Amino acid sequence: MRVGIVGTGFMGRTHAAAWSATEAVISGFVSLNKAMAEPIARQYQTMAFDSFAAMLEEVDIVDICTPTHLHHGMVLEAAQAGKHIICEKPLARTIKEGQEMIAACRAAGVQLIVAHVVRFFPEYALARKQVHDGQIGNPAVLRLTRGTFQPKKTEDNWFVDFAKSGGMMLDLMIHDLDYARWVAGEVETVYAKKISSEHAGAHVDHGLVILRHRSGAISHVEGSWAYPPPLFRTRFEIAGSNGLLQHDSADTAAIGLHLRGSGDEDIPDVPLPSSPLIEDPYTTEVKTFYRSLLNGEPAPVSGAEGLAALQLALAGIESAESGFPVTIDQLPEVKEEKRS
Amino acid sequence: MKIGILSFAHLHAEAYIQNLRAIEGVELMGIADEDRERGAHFAELNQTQFYDSYEQLLEDDPDGVIVCSENSRHRPLVELAAAHGVHALCEKPLATTLEDARVMLEACAEAGVTLMTALPMRFSAPIVEFKQQVDSGSLGRIYCLNTTNQGRMPVHERAWFVDPVLAGGGAIMDHTVHLVDIMRWCMDSEVVEVYAQANRILHADMVEVETAGLLMLTFDNGVFASVDCSWNKPFNYPTWGGLTMELISERGLTTIDAFRQNLNVFLQGPARNAWLYWGSDANQAMIEEFVSAIKENRPPLVTGEDGYRALEVTLAAYYSADMNLPMRLS
Repeated sequence: MRVGIVGTGFMGRTHAAAWSATEAVISGFVSLNKAMAEPIARQYQTMAFDSFAAMLEEVDIVDICTPTHLHHGMVLEAAQAGKHIICEKPLARTIKEGQEMIAACRAAGVQLIVAHVVRFFPEYALARKQVHDGQIGNPAVLRLTRGTFQPKKTEDNWFVDFAKSGGMMLDLMIHDLDYARWVAGEVETVYAKKISSEHAGAHVDHGLVILRHRSGAISHVEGSWAYPPPLFRTRFEIAGSNGLLQHDSADTAAIGLHLRGSGDEDIPDVPLPSSPLIEDPYTTEVKTFYRSLLNGEPAPVSGAEGLAALQLALAGIESAESGFPVTIDQLPEVKEEKRS
Repeated sequence: MKIGILSFAHLHAEAYIQNLRAIEGVELMGIADEDRERGAHFAELNQTQFYDSYEQLLEDDPDGVIVCSENSRHRPLVELAAAHGVHALCEKPLATTLEDARVMLEACAEAGVTLMTALPMRFSAPIVEFKQQVDSGSLGRIYCLNTTNQGRMPVHERAWFVDPVLAGGGAIMDHTVHLVDIMRWCMDSEVVEVYAQANRILHADMVEVETAGLLMLTFDNGVFASVDCSWNKPFNYPTWGGLTMELISERGLTTIDAFRQNLNVFLQGPARNAWLYWGSDANQAMIEEFVSAIKENRPPLVTGEDGYRALEVTLAAYYSADMNLPMRLS
C-alpha cells in the first residue's frame, strides 16, 4: 500500500523512519509549503507534494502528523477521498470534532487509527499484559507520571498555544489517561488541578489528576511541562489485589551518557525517552497499524478509543478550571464500539 | 527525668523505649497497660516495671508519658495524664474524631501541660533538609507537590490497625497525617480544600476499611498537592513502605524519598530481598524533642494543635470520598 505523510516536524520524521521499516511505499510528504517537505522527501527518495489534495490522489493511507487543531479538517478530507487514516494523538481538539471525524470515516468505510504510541512502548505493553492476564489480580490504584520540559520549538510554537494544542493535558497527559483507561477500564469521574489554572503567570505547566474508574479502581495521573531540560521521565505503579507492578525510566535507563561540554544547543525541541531497543516503539506502532490495514482487521487503536482519551483530557482541563469533579458520560461512539 | 509509657497497643512503643534509653538523664519508669498480659510481657522483655493501671504509673510522679494506645483510645489517657499534671506525647493520629482531639487540647491547656503529637517526619533528616531548601528561597515559588505515603497493610503488625473503630479508618487514617503535617510545616500554610477518592480492592477479603486513597489538597498559599496514602505494597515488599514528595517550583523539580537510605540485601535461600535502613533515626530525634521541651518548659516542635490540623484534613478526606466533592475547611 502507498502512504503519504502529512507534517514534517518531529512526529512526521519519526513516522517516516518507521514506515521505511515496512513494505509500504512512502509516496511522499506534505508540509506547510513544498520547500519544507523537500529535504525529507529527498531523504526517502520520494516526492514533496504541492498540497494535501494532491497527495490524496496518490496514496492509500494518510498518516497525519500535523498540529492538533489541523487533524479535524484533514481527516474529513481524507475520509471523503476514501483513504485510510492514521492520526496522531490527540484525535482532535474538541469532542465534536472527534465525533465528526469518526462519523466521516464510518460513512466513507475507511479505517481511522489513532497513534497512541505509549501502548506500543514495551514496558507499558508488558505491564498492561500482566494486568490483562490476571497476574496482579484486580487493579486497585494506578500511578502514572510523564514529565518533561515545555516543547521549545521557537517558530510557530503551537504546542504552547492552548487554542491549537489544548496544552499539556491534551498533548502530553493524554498518553497516560489513555493508558489508565486501557488498563483499568472506563472512567466515571475526573478531578484535576494544574499550574496553569492555579498560578496565573507561571511559565511552566504541571497537572495532577485523580480518576475513578467504573470498576472502583482509582488512578493518579501526573503530567509535567515543568521539568528543567533535558529531563524526561516516565513512571508507573499499578497495584492490584494480588500484586504490584513498578516502572521508572530512571531505573531502566540502559545506557547513560554523562559527557563534558556543550550547553543548550544539544537540547532537542521535543524530548524523547532514551531506552535503546532493536525496534523502536514508533516502528512497532506503525507496523501494527499497517498490518491491520493490510489484513482488513479492526483498528488497533480506534477513533473511538482516541475519542475516549480526548474526553478524559478535556474533562481534566474542565475540572482544573472549575474546581469540581467532572462526571464522564460515555459517548455513543465509545458505547457502540463496546457492543460490536 | 522520668518518662512512662501508657499502653503498648501501638508497636512504636518498642522503638520509643530504645529511644528513651539512649537519652542521658532520662529514666524509663515503666509501662502501664490495661491489657495485663501484653503490658507484663513487654515490661519483662524490656526489663522495666509493669504498672497494671494507668493511674498507678501517673501517681508515681512521671515528668512525661508517651501515649501508645489505639487511635480511638488516645483521649482518655491524655485526659488522665493532664489531670495528673503530666506532659504527654501522643501517638498519631491525635484522635479519630475532632471532638476527641479538641477535648484533649483543652484538657492539656487547662492543666498547663504540654501535648505533643508523634509526627516523626518533622525530624527526618531528608525532610529537614527539604524544609531548609524551601525556607532559603532557593527553589523559587512553589506550585505543587505530588506526595506518597504508601505501605503494606499493617494488619500483621497489630490487628487493630485495620479496625474501623479502634483505628478510626484504614489507609487514609493511617498515612495522611504525616504528609499533611510536613507540608503545613514546610510551607507555613494551611489546607483550605480537600478532595479524595478511596476504595477497598486490595485485601478486600481481609478488612472492612479502605485500603487505598488518593487525595488532592489545596493550601491557602495557592499550592496544590496530591497524597497517595494507599496500602498498596504486597506483604513481601522489601520494606514496610515509604514517604516521597516531588515538588514543582519555579526552579524545576525537587524530589524527596525520605526512606531511600537503604542497604540492599540479597541472601542465598528462599527469603525475600530486604532493604536495611541506614538513614538517621527520626524517632530518636522526636523523643529527644519531647524531653527537651519538658526540660526547657517550651512548646515542642510538633504540638497537639498540629495533630488536630492534620486530623481535620484527614476527616475531610473521608467526607469528600463519600460525597465525591471537594470539601472546604473553615
